Amino acid sequence: MATDLSTPHSALRTPHSEAEVVVSVTGLTKVFQDFWGRPKARAVDRVDFEVRRGEVFGLLGPNGSGKSTTVKLILGLLHPTRGLIRVFDHSPRHVPTKARIGYLPEESYLYRYLDSRETLDFFGNLFELPKRQRADRAEQLLEMVGLKQVQRRAVGEFSKGMQRRIGLAQALINDPDLVILDEPTSGLDPIGCHEVKDLIRALARRGKTVILSSHLLADVEDVCDRVVIYYGGRIQAMGALRELLAKPDSIRITAPALPRETLERVLALIRKDVAEDTVRIDTPTQNLENYFLEVVKNAQQAAAETSGVVSGAPVAAYLRGEAEGRPAADKLLERFTLAPGTETPGPAPAPSPAVDQVKLDSLAKAHGPAAPAPAPAPATEAGLEQANEKLATLLGKNPGPNAK
Amino acid sequence: MQRLYAIAWLTWKAAFRFRLFLVIAGLLLVSVVGLPLLIKDDGTARGFTQILLTYTLTAITALLGFSTLWLACGTLARDIEECQIQMLAVKPIARWQIWLGKWLGIVSLDAVLLALSAGCVYGLLQWRAHRLPPDQQQALRNEVLVARGSAREKNFDKEIDARADQLLRERLEKNPLETRQANLGEVRRQIRESVKAAYELVRPGSPSRPWRINLGSARLHLRGQPLSLRVKFNAAEGSASGTYGGILAFGEPPKTKTAQSPVLSMAPDTFHEFIIPPDLFDADGVLTITFGNPNETALLFPLEDGVEVLYPEGGFGPSFVRALGIILCWMALLAALGLASASLLSFPVAAFFSLGLLAMTLSSGTMANAVEEGTIAGYNPEKNTRGSSPVDLVVIPTFRAALKVIRLAMDFSPVDSLSTGRRVTWTQLGLALSQIVVLMAGSVGLLGIFALSRRELAGAQAVQ
Repeated sequence: MATDLSTPHSALRTPHSEAEVVVSVTGLTKVFQDFWGRPKARAVDRVDFEVRRGEVFGLLGPNGSGKSTTVKLILGLLHPTRGLIRVFDHSPRHVPTKARIGYLPEESYLYRYLDSRETLDFFGNLFELPKRQRADRAEQLLEMVGLKQVQRRAVGEFSKGMQRRIGLAQALINDPDLVILDEPTSGLDPIGCHEVKDLIRALARRGKTVILSSHLLADVEDVCDRVVIYYGGRIQAMGALRELLAKPDSIRITAPALPRETLERVLALIRKDVAEDTVRIDTPTQNLENYFLEVVKNAQQAAAETSGVVSGAPVAAYLRGEAEGRPAADKLLERFTLAPGTETPGPAPAPSPAVDQVKLDSLAKAHGPAAPAPAPAPATEAGLEQANEKLATLLGKNPGPNAK
Repeated sequence: MQRLYAIAWLTWKAAFRFRLFLVIAGLLLVSVVGLPLLIKDDGTARGFTQILLTYTLTAITALLGFSTLWLACGTLARDIEECQIQMLAVKPIARWQIWLGKWLGIVSLDAVLLALSAGCVYGLLQWRAHRLPPDQQQALRNEVLVARGSAREKNFDKEIDARADQLLRERLEKNPLETRQANLGEVRRQIRESVKAAYELVRPGSPSRPWRINLGSARLHLRGQPLSLRVKFNAAEGSASGTYGGILAFGEPPKTKTAQSPVLSMAPDTFHEFIIPPDLFDADGVLTITFGNPNETALLFPLEDGVEVLYPEGGFGPSFVRALGIILCWMALLAALGLASASLLSFPVAAFFSLGLLAMTLSSGTMANAVEEGTIAGYNPEKNTRGSSPVDLVVIPTFRAALKVIRLAMDFSPVDSLSTGRRVTWTQLGLALSQIVVLMAGSVGLLGIFALSRRELAGAQAVQ
């Protein structure tokens, strides 16, 4: 897993390597001091990295490893002890540059006495957005994060998940070019997590840069192009996820269930080249997140009312790149002319064991038509019914009409 | 501007959502309505009105002052402690705009609260005035609910200093050894005091020196109008009755007509007001006043505020509004002080520091005494001896400098002016704006903005 830190960045280049550098960090060190100026903690130690336009860049690491400190240094909330940070080729404290940044902190630092709409309007004012635009964006964002129904409730009364949602909405009010998300899925339910990841992908598709700080590895793995892994304030590994996770000395083949004889023939063929104990056969399962999402989708169809967050809303139109305030006919026309799948991102691919995609592609090209990409197996009807019943019991409701 | 407005609006929202506005407004209204029920007056409509004005406006100023300081410390320090300011600092708003927006929010909040409570005071005064008999109403409108100009004798400082220097020189010529033996500064101070006393003294059984008061250009519109004389004196010895007799004479024949009061009975150390008949000043607007002292003790009319002529100059309403303007200037300074403290310190420390500074300002009389006596070790008036302390070398110049700064703000007395029917002028308001808001609040604000701009807004506690 670990990558040699002496490896030059050029060796780790991704398709974004030619794009504009959005954030550049060189020799960054942050030492916290006590009242008397004595060093208290070295939170970040000689860190170097670059984030380029359109990248989803992950900061990974355990608690106290320096991720949030790095984020705060990039945002100008902390001053580096040593080193240089450039954001859009300016100092992090350059005020006009901040108009291009959206930030979601690790905790809800919103004003507890404002309601959701007031919160968005307030932050919109700080970006000097016109009144109409503030109202439009607030409407779309509230819809997107599922808080439209509770828009008049004070943020202080929200659950942690709801506070994360409104926090995310405020981070996007200015349609930022650089979005910095600190633990964006912390406190969110699986649906919320899924939607946040969809959103990150949608932003990346529009050429936005996303810096994601998290210790939830699955989240990072799902959306990040490149990551740095912190420990003790230092970067321990850095590079493209695909390269870091690849197991170049093994491959995986997924196929529909085969007759026993066929399987034995295939195995016999394989055993000619490799030892028996290195070959593994199993039945692929879909991941829990996808299964859960499907169950909830069915439950939603069955019972439309909820006192909490309304999920499943699309990403706000202006964040998908649709112009604001255009006639509906224009939008309709655009929908028909967009490439399939660009309007709403598809479901997250099921995290499968690491596959060397490059190798797989080359194998497919060499030996005939490519096999279809492995798709998560649909949940069985019985399984869904069971889950529906469990959910209904948990919520204290009778199963909906669709539940059998 | 949109950003400043947004921050100011946020301060308003916080004040309403935390019910701070309602609580302060309630307290102000209770003090305005409740105080008149508790205060004791001299039984006259004039006395009651004066006391009402003084007490209510002082209570409003004090209450609003403390809440301003508290709110200013809280709004910024809590934002920093609870990390909300991080959400502002990452937006395209400069830190000076955050600071200024909060200041504007607090000052506008103060303006509304002040207008609300002072409006009640004004309404109460007018309502009570309307219920008085016509003659008392007239007296009230002539003496309190009016805006009067003020004229005093010319300043005698130059003459007093020149005479004191001359006497000191003569004394040193007679006794050259004194140069080495005595503290010359102290000797000069004593000589000056005695020269000044000669200007203020009215010997027993003698008339005073003529007090000549120039009414200036006001004379042009004062023909045919009665004026008011406001006097205060100290007595060298006590009186069994507690009062002293006196006769006032006005005019200087043959240049003007003359008039004389009957024998008056007056208490020392307090202000007395008398009507001066019309047209007793000369063509240049100089009014001559003499005081006959029939008592067996000397009376001293202080040069600073012993004799003052007041004349009608305008309506009470505009003067009242200008006085409120000066009070608002004080609030603006307190808001700046609170915000500046919170830019650097945590909420409890900032509040303690600001309130400490305020207490120090309010006790500037002690500092003034120490500066006047030249020591903090105390003065024994019976033995006429002064203590001395090694810290005087540092403390006295510090006090002197602090007093200069404090006086920039405290030299205005809008409440006193209103309660004595004096006019609060546009010049005074302009001076208050420039001295208190622009100079003092501006300087404090620059310090606060500098501190906030340099400060790291995230701490080590949030390290991950």
